[in-house]
This record gives sequence, structure tokens and C-alpha cells, in this order.
Amino acid sequence: MQEFAFSYQNIIDGQGFSLAFAGMTIVFVALIAVSLLITLLPRILRVVNRYYPELDGLAGPTSRGQGEGAPGADDEAMAASAAALHAHRQARR
Amino acid sequence: MEVLLEFFKTTAVANMSWGNVVMLLIGTIFINLAIRRHYEPLLLLPIGFGCIVGNLPPIAGMAIGVYDEGSVLYYIYFGVSQGIFPPLIFLGIGAMTDFSTMLSNPRLVLLGAAAQIGIFLTLIGGLYLGFSPSEAGAIGIIGGADGPTAIFLSAKLAPHLLGAIAISAYSYMALVPVIQPPVMKLLTSRRERLIRMKPPRQVSQREKIIFPIAAFLICALIAPGAITLLGMLFFGNLLKESGVTERLAESARHAMIDIVTILLGFSVGASTQAQTFLTPQSMLIFGLGALSFAVATAGGVMAAKLMNLFVKDKINPLVGAAGVSAVPDSARVVQMIGQDEDPHNHLLMHAMAPNVAGVIGSAVGAGILWSVLVG
Repeated sequence: MQEFAFSYQNIIDGQGFSLAFAGMTIVFVALIAVSLLITLLPRILRVVNRYYPELDGLAGPTSRGQGEGAPGADDEAMAASAAALHAHRQARR
Repeated sequence: MEVLLEFFKTTAVANMSWGNVVMLLIGTIFINLAIRRHYEPLLLLPIGFGCIVGNLPPIAGMAIGVYDEGSVLYYIYFGVSQGIFPPLIFLGIGAMTDFSTMLSNPRLVLLGAAAQIGIFLTLIGGLYLGFSPSEAGAIGIIGGADGPTAIFLSAKLAPHLLGAIAISAYSYMALVPVIQPPVMKLLTSRRERLIRMKPPRQVSQREKIIFPIAAFLICALIAPGAITLLGMLFFGNLLKESGVTERLAESARHAMIDIVTILLGFSVGASTQAQTFLTPQSMLIFGLGALSFAVATAGGVMAAKLMNLFVKDKINPLVGAAGVSAVPDSARVVQMIGQDEDPHNHLLMHAMAPNVAGVIGSAVGAGILWSVLVG
């Protein structure tokens, strides 16, 4: 069984302070970079949207789902069927 | 009669030690907490039952337990000991997570970073108590308040402590509603707890799609050790947000994460055999674990207070407590404490921002410790 010797010297020997300081710094650097990305993203997208506007059908709200067999797909099919039926009835008049 | 006596010697009753009895009791307590108190039932119930299964004394010559090569439990535990289950859980978490609140308020990301101080101060505490640097690193990650991350890192750095670290991490995650409120109340004034924050802005779908890719690249370039965990987290999120892989996202956030949670919880529970689990190290790990949660909470709250000195739109410091990952329990605690002071103050959506940032922060922290301490 491992024997424990509580000692401040253990921290020094294990480079605890430098490891903790470096670790916290790197975590902060990573998350500050993520934070900057989030801040800049809307501004970048404002420019991008001028040339490549966001398409409605590209990716709708995920809660509804737009994938194969998802409710969103049914809605689109229903709308297309209704439009076709309407056009057919108009042509018969 | 002799045959019966010989058979009796092989039964669990005859081989039961006091340690096994204690562990059976602990398993029962976990199940009780899960069912009666609803403390993380999805985890505590499998862990509790696994604890009972793992502490029935093994019969000599029969491969039954998680440590017996060739047993069924050994192969299930393989997913834990080799760090396979945690990234799969991260995939499911990614497919569940909505980063909108974080994307609408980027400054709250910093609270997720500040709360990771729990990891590094616990590392120092572990070293002080005489653990080796890699053991102290594995124990420190309990302060990240993220069970899968704790299992992943301890499997890499200190596999012999995995059971104690996993149980400690999950137990304290379940006890977030008990550990956090006193620290939050101690460090904030009533006036601070009453602060109302601006509602988050609308986030475009394009932002939600670009974010997981760009954020992954940033984090992986800075801390490559976090590639496995963050890669799966952001991949799961991309499945969700892309809008074209809804079926995959559904599987990841429901069926897959449920299966992995069952296997992980049960086998971690079964790994807590009294002979390997009831040691002085485990007791120290539990002590450090409780301390690390309190320190991480304090780190997040104090960071919010510090930020309030410089920003115009004040942050409710309670929100900082959600920086300790433990998604979504710590965010719920923030909402609860906030509503104790003002029932009309809804902090949950604001708290989700540091909460998910905390998940990223703890994975980055784990990546750093893995890169530095491995070997």
C-alpha cells in the first residue's frame, strides 16, 4: 500500500505551481480564442451573407428536423402536393 | 455433508469481507439516492447496482469480475479502461447541446475557463498529499465536474485510481445541488443575486454550423490532447446543427448515449471491489473531490464578480457557478438560487453558456494534463 507523506516539498518536486499556472493559462487562451471567434463570427457572416445569402432550406431549425424522413420533409411534400392540386383545379376551370 | 461444506466454502457468503459489506451498503445508498432523491439517477442507479455486483466475493478459478481477464464484465469494462466510452458520451452530449446561449453572449465563456481553477488547485492538493504527478493530475480532473472527462484522463494517467476517481466525480456531480449553493451564497450579496441579465440575441443557423468546426480547430490546435473528447463533442453538435443528419443526431443523443451510459455506469460500479477500492487513497480522493467542486464553483463566481468591475451590462455572479460543467445540473442550481431571491429572474439560459463552456474548458484541461503528465 502506498504511504503518504504530506509535504509542501512534494508540490515543488512535482512542479505543481508551474503546471497549474501553465494549465490555467492555456485553458484561458483556448477559451478566449473561442470567445473571440464567437464575437467575430456574426460580423464575418454579415459580409459573407452579402455574397452568399443564407438559404432558408439550407438548415432549418433542428428541433423540427429537415433530414430524410423528418417532419419538415413531410411539410414540404404536403405543400408541393397542395400547389399541384391547386394548379390542376385552376386548369380545369 | 462434506460436499455441502465444500460448496459452502465457495459461496459468496463464506468469502464475504467487511469491506464487501460496506461496498454493498454504498451501492444500496446510491440506488436509494437515485430513486428517492433523483440525484443523477441515470448514473447513480447503474453505478449502485454495479457496485453490488462487483462486491460479491469472486469464486477462485472463475472469471467473473471486471479485473478477471476473459469475463464478460472484463470486456464491458474494457470500454472504460481504454477510454472508449467517454468520447462516445461526448458525441451524444454534442448532439444534445445547443450552443446558442453561448454564441449570443461570448463573454460568459470566460466563466467556463475560470471555473477550471478547481482542476489545477486540486492537482496541487494531490501533490501535497503525496500522490505522484500523474495521479494528482487524474485526481485534479474531478474539479472539472465532468464524469466522462474524469474517466478518460484517469484511464490514461492513473488506471489504478480509476474506480475511486469515477465514483468521486459522479457522486459529487450528483451532489451539485448540495455542494454549490452554500459557496454561491457565501460569495455573493443579495443585491448581486438580484441582477437581471439582458435576454440573449437570436443566433443564425450558419453561426451554429460554423461554430463546432471553427471552435474544434482552435481548441485542438492549442491543446491537441483534447482532440478525442472535443472532436466527438463538436462532431455530435455538427450532426445536430447541420440539419441534414437528424437521424444520426437522434441516434447519438438517445440510443447511443443511453447504451454507453448503462455500460459505463454498471462497469465502473462493478470495478469498486472493496479490496481495491476501500483504501486510504480513495478516502483522500473523495476529500479532494469535494474540495475541488467547491473551489471550481468559487472560481466561476469570483470571475463573474471581477468581470462586473469592467463591464457595463452586469453579470449575475451566480451564473459563474455554472462554469463547472456538470451539465445541466449546475445551471439548474443557478436558476434555483436566483429564483430564491427573485422568482421572476430566469437565469437558466444565461447559465447554460458558462455551463457548456465549462465542458470545453475541462476537456482542454484534461488534454493539457494528458500531454504533460503521460509517460
